[in-house]
Amino acid sequence: MRIVIAEDAAVLRDGLRMLLTSRGHEVAAAVGDGEALEAAVAEHRPDVAVVDVRMPPSHTDEGLRAALRIRRAHPGLGVLVFSQYIETRYAARLLADGAHGVGYLLKERVADVGDFLSALDRIAAGQTVLDPEVVTQIMGAGHRAEALAALTPREREVLSLMAEGRSNNAIAAALFLSYGSVEKHVAQIFTKLGLSPSDGDHRRVLAVLRYLQG
Amino acid sequence: MESQAGNGPRRATGADPVWARAWRELIYALVTPLMAVIGLVYAVVVALSVVSSAGVVGLPLLALGVPAARGLGAANRRLARALAGVRVADPAPFRSGPGLADRLVAALSDLPGWRAVIHGLVRLPAAVLAFAVAAGLWGGGLALLGCPLWWRSAALPVLSSYGWPGAVPTSAVGAVLLLAAPWGVHLALAPERLLARTLLGPPPGETRTRRLERARAMAVDGAATELRRIERDLHDGTAARLVTLAMRLGMALEELEHADRPERPARARTLVEDAHRDAKETLVELRDLIRGIHPPALGEGLETALTTLAARSPVPVRFDADLPERPAPAIEAIAYFCAAELLANVAKHSGARRAVLGVRASDGLLTLLVRDDGDGGAAMDAGSGLRGLAGRVAPVDGTIDVHSPPGGPTVVTVELPLHV
Repeated sequence: MRIVIAEDAAVLRDGLRMLLTSRGHEVAAAVGDGEALEAAVAEHRPDVAVVDVRMPPSHTDEGLRAALRIRRAHPGLGVLVFSQYIETRYAARLLADGAHGVGYLLKERVADVGDFLSALDRIAAGQTVLDPEVVTQIMGAGHRAEALAALTPREREVLSLMAEGRSNNAIAAALFLSYGSVEKHVAQIFTKLGLSPSDGDHRRVLAVLRYLQG
Repeated sequence: MESQAGNGPRRATGADPVWARAWRELIYALVTPLMAVIGLVYAVVVALSVVSSAGVVGLPLLALGVPAARGLGAANRRLARALAGVRVADPAPFRSGPGLADRLVAALSDLPGWRAVIHGLVRLPAAVLAFAVAAGLWGGGLALLGCPLWWRSAALPVLSSYGWPGAVPTSAVGAVLLLAAPWGVHLALAPERLLARTLLGPPPGETRTRRLERARAMAVDGAATELRRIERDLHDGTAARLVTLAMRLGMALEELEHADRPERPARARTLVEDAHRDAKETLVELRDLIRGIHPPALGEGLETALTTLAARSPVPVRFDADLPERPAPAIEAIAYFCAAELLANVAKHSGARRAVLGVRASDGLLTLLVRDDGDGGAAMDAGSGLRGLAGRVAPVDGTIDVHSPPGGPTVVTVELPLHV
């Protein structure tokens, strides 16, 4: 697939380019800040953009804001935001416009090369990928527990895997459950979070969002 | 005549036209009795509340009256600043705790308030003097100057008996009085200026307190900036390198998992070599970062640490040290960071070909000097590294002096006490 990278640390930028190129992907551009990212995306029309959150000039959430802008400007573009830290607020902002083809991962996940590349594939295919750390943080946050209190521990496990963008099949494999019981858990989650069937396919995303926003 | 240097709102050149000052001072001298009467009435009211403060009404009245006198003081200060050329700083604003008792105590012990009250009490003679001299010189001068216009009238029979020969010299005397008036009024305002300077500014002691408060604020800011810098170095440097390193090892692992194909182990080897290099570079960066937090070389003393620092500089540095006495550790650390920052500036901005780093301890002072033969033009602008250094040295009552004319050479001198 065709990829644009925005990362201000040159070592990592070059490393990513090498990794992706060696796996047969085309790195159309590798830039160092948000504005250059917007320009590169407009020019190269990539399948996925890999975006660092903290970039010049402000070194705060430059990359995240640029990611939101390119998503709005180019529907269908996959965006993987990756960062040294996980901020659940950032995750919520990223998903507020819809969770189609969005990912949010810790940078260190790139060490597990296979997982990282499959995450990119899933994002390009329009799925949602959230770092397990996002899930851990939300689970750890006491005030959010209220919204999720109605869920059983098993349902929470299922939901956190949904948040990572896994399909029912993958969840079944991860939790050693049958496909049918995963389906049952998912239906229970939808009911408990008040998501009616009329919300359609989007319910999966909405559940994750509900989960993120407590 | 009293020298005005240092207390007037002088232009940098001191070229204040005499007549402009004369007009301002005339207005001041004419207004000042009015202000003095207001001040006296106010002071009397406050004094009365002191007398009656045995009663229940007196004390709260006093507590209101003293801080409120600051308003009067501020008006007088502004007037003196604008018209009489007295430059006095504003006292610190009134502060008190939230409770009623706190307010009461703070109000009754409000030094600037009391000083404004005293100013009101004692200034009347000075104001009357200024008014009298101004009225006499300007008014009398004008009257005498214009005497040819009115000498025929019956007002002064003596004068009219002399006729024109009397009127002309009288008129000349008037002209002299008018010419002397600007200086006369200026002189007569000396007591007014003195009172304004001593009573309307910040009370003695407050100046140092405020300076230390400012220094503390700068130190806190400096510490926060420093932490941010370290965090950024860790984030953009070390962490990014470690991620890359982990990524390369991850790729190598994948290659080794498919070691059945002949080219795979070779690729894995290349990746591990790269990772190995990454690890070593990360260690170098980390060492630099640690040195930036607290230089380990300082354990050996300032001289050793500075020798290393000078030797590491990309611009050749001659290092002179004269340290018969070892400074306190905190002072050594500040001196070291100043030297590091200044040498970094030399290397980055000055375009210098050589530099001198000197450090000397004598008379309880540690003097650090950095001179370079570069382009000059260094300034203590907001946000500059030099400003940051000022923040570092201020909390220990240190000073920094930058001499950097365009075209160079640049000499920066830092003075610190040997012990805190």
